Amino acid sequence: MNESYKIISSSILYWFSQKKWFVYSILIALFLLSLSTPVGLTLPAYHSLIILVLVFILVTFEPIPFPAIALLTLVLQVVLGVAPPNEVASSFMNDAVLFVMGSLMFAIAIVHQGLDIRLARMIIYFFGKSKRLFLMGLMTISAILSSFLGEHTVIAIMLPIGLSVIKNIDTQKTDGKNAVLLTLFSVAYGTIIGSIGTPSGGARNVIMINYLQEFSNVNIDYWKWMKHAYPILIIQLLVAYFVLQFTFPSSLKNIQIKGFKKKVQASDTKKNINHLFSCLIIVFIIFSWFTFNDKYGLGIIALAGALSFMIFGMISWEEINKNTNWGVILLFAATISLGFQINETGASSWLVLKFNDLLEALPSNSFNISWSIMAIISGLTANFFTSSATVSLIGPMAIELQPTDITFALSSAIASGFSFLTVISSPTAMILYSTGLVSTKLFFRVGILMFSISIIILYLMSQFYWINI
Amino acid sequence: MKILIAIGGKEFSKPTLDLGMKISNSFQASTTIAYVGKKISQFSEKDVSVVHQNLDDRELYRPGIRTLEWAYDFLVSKKYIEKDNNNNFDDYLLVDEENSRMKVLLKGKNSDKIDLIMRTGEIIEQLKSEVDRNKQEITIIGGGGNKGIHSKLIQFIDSSIFVVKNYSVNKKYKILLPVNDSQGSNMALETAINFAKAYKLEVEIVSVYEGKKSIKGIDRFVEKSINKLNKNSIKNNAKVLEGTPVNSIVEHAKDDSIIILGVSPKNPFLKYFFGSKPISIAEKCNCPVLIAK
Repeated sequence: MNESYKIISSSILYWFSQKKWFVYSILIALFLLSLSTPVGLTLPAYHSLIILVLVFILVTFEPIPFPAIALLTLVLQVVLGVAPPNEVASSFMNDAVLFVMGSLMFAIAIVHQGLDIRLARMIIYFFGKSKRLFLMGLMTISAILSSFLGEHTVIAIMLPIGLSVIKNIDTQKTDGKNAVLLTLFSVAYGTIIGSIGTPSGGARNVIMINYLQEFSNVNIDYWKWMKHAYPILIIQLLVAYFVLQFTFPSSLKNIQIKGFKKKVQASDTKKNINHLFSCLIIVFIIFSWFTFNDKYGLGIIALAGALSFMIFGMISWEEINKNTNWGVILLFAATISLGFQINETGASSWLVLKFNDLLEALPSNSFNISWSIMAIISGLTANFFTSSATVSLIGPMAIELQPTDITFALSSAIASGFSFLTVISSPTAMILYSTGLVSTKLFFRVGILMFSISIIILYLMSQFYWINI
Repeated sequence: MKILIAIGGKEFSKPTLDLGMKISNSFQASTTIAYVGKKISQFSEKDVSVVHQNLDDRELYRPGIRTLEWAYDFLVSKKYIEKDNNNNFDDYLLVDEENSRMKVLLKGKNSDKIDLIMRTGEIIEQLKSEVDRNKQEITIIGGGGNKGIHSKLIQFIDSSIFVVKNYSVNKKYKILLPVNDSQGSNMALETAINFAKAYKLEVEIVSVYEGKKSIKGIDRFVEKSINKLNKNSIKNNAKVLEGTPVNSIVEHAKDDSIIILGVSPKNPFLKYFFGSKPISIAEKCNCPVLIAK
């Protein structure tokens, strides 16, 4: 056989083996395009749903880079006649996208300051009396910080603290292995649970607030979100503490809080000043989210945080540029734009109509059933598709189910934050997995219990607590 | 000669590293020992990178370093690396060489023929990229893991592939050389001669008659192989098997066999969708298999 033929065909096959899901997604999209438009759906609405299917496949299997998926989404919206170019461009940038951008940059600036050393000292001061109390402190502080600063910031700060106290543990013995897992899961679950607490806890929260404002003219401010979500966070934290203690029973005798304590105390004056400034900026930004949220928007305030760090010379642009995931920002912008078009074209109303038709076929059609299906679908999709992308695409449908009642929209956003099942669901889960100490199976085994309990907590709170506030 | 040894977890990689280093040592090859870390979702890759930088700053081992430290200790214990007081693994320096590839630089005097590297991502992509970059002639990998990995490695990586399955240091191995009249058998014969000479191993040539009693081309090749092995003073014998090639060879191979096969001359498209005999043998046999390219 001709050598050059072999080389070319091998290259084509290698490309196909790496990009097969891209080929499949295009074939599926072409097949759907060849079908006639479903009854009750306009052509642009049908095309927007085809792009939605395409994006779901591409984001789940990642055969091409995220920026490429983002650009493809924008190009297809115009080429398939979903919306004119100017409309697509204007829906591409809004406060939610600015928030994703600002919070990622703000996170890098905070992590760069090395605040974990000071934070560890604080946790040891307040919770260092016993090892179990220390782990509880680690979890609680992770949750509180994550609720304001977002998962990606907090896991980057807290994981080194967790790994420091377990670094000399022999994982060959069950007691040691359980101590390691208990520590890592305490940090991870604290961080994941915390992210539902306030709008700035996760981009998905801001995206939902934005959708509610645009589609239903309902305004949810920082306080209102907290009043709804923080009690759920507290109950979840308590449940998670006991679930982890039960799943990973350990004497914790090899955890070394004291060894870490000595290391923490070595810090210099310049660092102290930097830390003080960092804390002032963080407090000021959180205060602004509370008070100026309506006027300036969460995104602009997050950007101001990153800006402050740069202006005071506490981080260079090169550092921020190197560590910011621009691909994710582009992707969120594109999916939010698609979410807007799904709503504008009437595709979300059509899907909700079909959903309600399906429910009517059930023996007892009620608010509870549609709520449960919506919350479980949001939670499950987020676990396989990541939370923010889920909310940006499913959000319009959740709002359409009950346009005047925020229960559905809030539940969908909060359930999307239950990233307990898969390691791809959130940065926290992926970082935990990347340590090599937690397998996908173990993460799922522990997470399935937390996920189920969290859905029940959310249901009970939405039924009995939210109606009273 | 250049050799790439891919290692995973400490528990499973010892036989791979052991055999890989023996081969490398006997061929005086420069060796790259690569740990390929878990693939990170694009959503989290920057976050993971920031956390890993943070762990480096706190002098905490980032994932994968522990495995490379274990590999380093193994090399020291087997005297592949001369250790003095100045070159502890604790003094390692990670050098970010290019996207997804990091080299571990050890201070002090170490063998300049051994590199420890860490890569992150999908294993086929990373090993292919390493071989494309450094042009290794043999890639040595353990027999565990995902079943499809070995067939993809054989198909896409531009080097011979040695799958180390069920290898034991204490066993006395002999080479099993299945041949037919294809071009690949020539390469397999050359590789078998090199291995047999380096380790003083016996070679058993096997040919399979599928239905027909004899195939002239195969008989001629067996004769040529025997002559070549005799010329190199390698103890050998030849055997004819009957039945389908894959099943006959798999049944004939013992735990103490090292199978050396040539790559299939089949059309790459047919190989991708329907497999090939060497790929099937490598998947089904419970002993080390080398596919020569």
